[in-house]
Amino acid sequence: MSDPATLSLAEARVQLNRGAISPQELEQSCRARIERWQPRINAFVSTEKRGGGGDGALSGIPLAHKDMFYRAGQVSNCGSKIRRGWLASETSAALERLDAAGALDIGALNMSEFAYGPTGHNDHWGDCGNPWSPPYITGGSSSGSGAAVAARLVFGALGSDTGGSVRLPASACGVTGLKTTWGRVSRHGAMPLSHSLDTIGPLARSAEDCALLFSAIAGHDERDPITARAPVAVNLGQPVRAIAISTAWIERNAHPEVAAAVLAAAKAIGAKLVEVEPPPFDMLGAHCLTVMGPEASAQHAQWMRERPRDYSSAVRARLETGFAVPAAQYLEVLRLRALWLERFVGETLAAADAYLVPTIAVPIPTREATGAKGGAEMPRLLAEVTKLTRWVNYLGVPALSVPCGFDSRGLPMGLQLVGRPFAEGTLLAAGHAYQRTTDWHRRVPPLQ
Amino acid sequence: MKHWVDEVLSRQGIELAAGRAERLAPGLDAQNVDDPLRAKLPFEVDPTTYVLRLDGK
Repeated sequence: MSDPATLSLAEARVQLNRGAISPQELEQSCRARIERWQPRINAFVSTEKRGGGGDGALSGIPLAHKDMFYRAGQVSNCGSKIRRGWLASETSAALERLDAAGALDIGALNMSEFAYGPTGHNDHWGDCGNPWSPPYITGGSSSGSGAAVAARLVFGALGSDTGGSVRLPASACGVTGLKTTWGRVSRHGAMPLSHSLDTIGPLARSAEDCALLFSAIAGHDERDPITARAPVAVNLGQPVRAIAISTAWIERNAHPEVAAAVLAAAKAIGAKLVEVEPPPFDMLGAHCLTVMGPEASAQHAQWMRERPRDYSSAVRARLETGFAVPAAQYLEVLRLRALWLERFVGETLAAADAYLVPTIAVPIPTREATGAKGGAEMPRLLAEVTKLTRWVNYLGVPALSVPCGFDSRGLPMGLQLVGRPFAEGTLLAAGHAYQRTTDWHRRVPPLQ
Repeated sequence: MKHWVDEVLSRQGIELAAGRAERLAPGLDAQNVDDPLRAKLPFEVDPTTYVLRLDGK
């Protein structure tokens, strides 16, 4: 067998169940890759084994998670200086469920400071490098999750998505990432950023692998009062009849290489394509920021008063902005949220199972161009990277980012399928149908 | 005279570096966008209405 760490999660389960490989061999294979890749991409902040390993659907599968999922008695740094070395007193609901399914937790993954950044920069723990070319961004804030899964260091990883933080690294690193419906996965024991927007979801090598992880973590939890009681049902063979798309918008607004890849992928899914007017991405994205800013600033208010210099300059500036959003503006935008959700479901998805759009409409930029030394162009580049993700968080609906090609520089491109509330199963079925006819998700970055 | 952003943050105990308020203000302006549904927003709708819509109610 070639390197077992390069199997998909689903394939690794089959090999484990057949006895063709042992859990120890699988973990050793991942750890050998971590040793080689870590100096290049800085995906891990700790490679100490943290837990798991019992019987269940994910028994023996090595995973690692964004360093914001608490585990009792262990450190969660949250990508920050302020919480460096902080010991959690309880274990997050999502980790409890993965433990119950038997998954191994083999380390903690790098992330943007307090999950408040879209690129993967981190002034305190070091930037995460893209496995396909480390000078380029991984996307954030689940930067280590995207990089570690892409480099085949683990079979899957949890991330959080408040404005794109699962989908951006999934797209930039060439892996599959599921942003779940708001209220689908318990946030108990996970670091909060913006309570009206925060969601938890998996990054993995395929839609099939994401389905296995999603099925393990989703469902009602008394300790997170917003979690829904909607049934968690994933049938990857479920037919996907129609996909809504705004072809002219994509052709006009996406970079030509991204547009060509996404439009070719839309045809490859095999569903009927229905042309629709695009949702107002910029306006809904602005609404997302109007919600996220005050909620994040309220969460961080005490530290912002007592130790503002312990934040990076970029995160401090984002938190300062949230204090200046008028309360009436924030609440009016939350009142409007129900109407925009109705419009998306009732009009955009009136005759379709999902809406298809690029995850990132431009070729991914370098860390230098989007960092502190990025100069006058930096804000525009960041706005381009996040243009198509935040509107989904404002609506609170699920979205699956799937790799759909590589640009002329050899860097990944991704599309996202956006669905009705709690229709993660439909998105995973569509992603699986696409990945049965393509091999973008199987490409492995070379270690040079 | 203090910039309005300085005033608002100062009242909440957040001190800004000199010149910072001027840099934050354009981003705040950009967030305050026109929304065509504002005029159609029923008086009775509050933020919890969204949770009902999410559940299909």
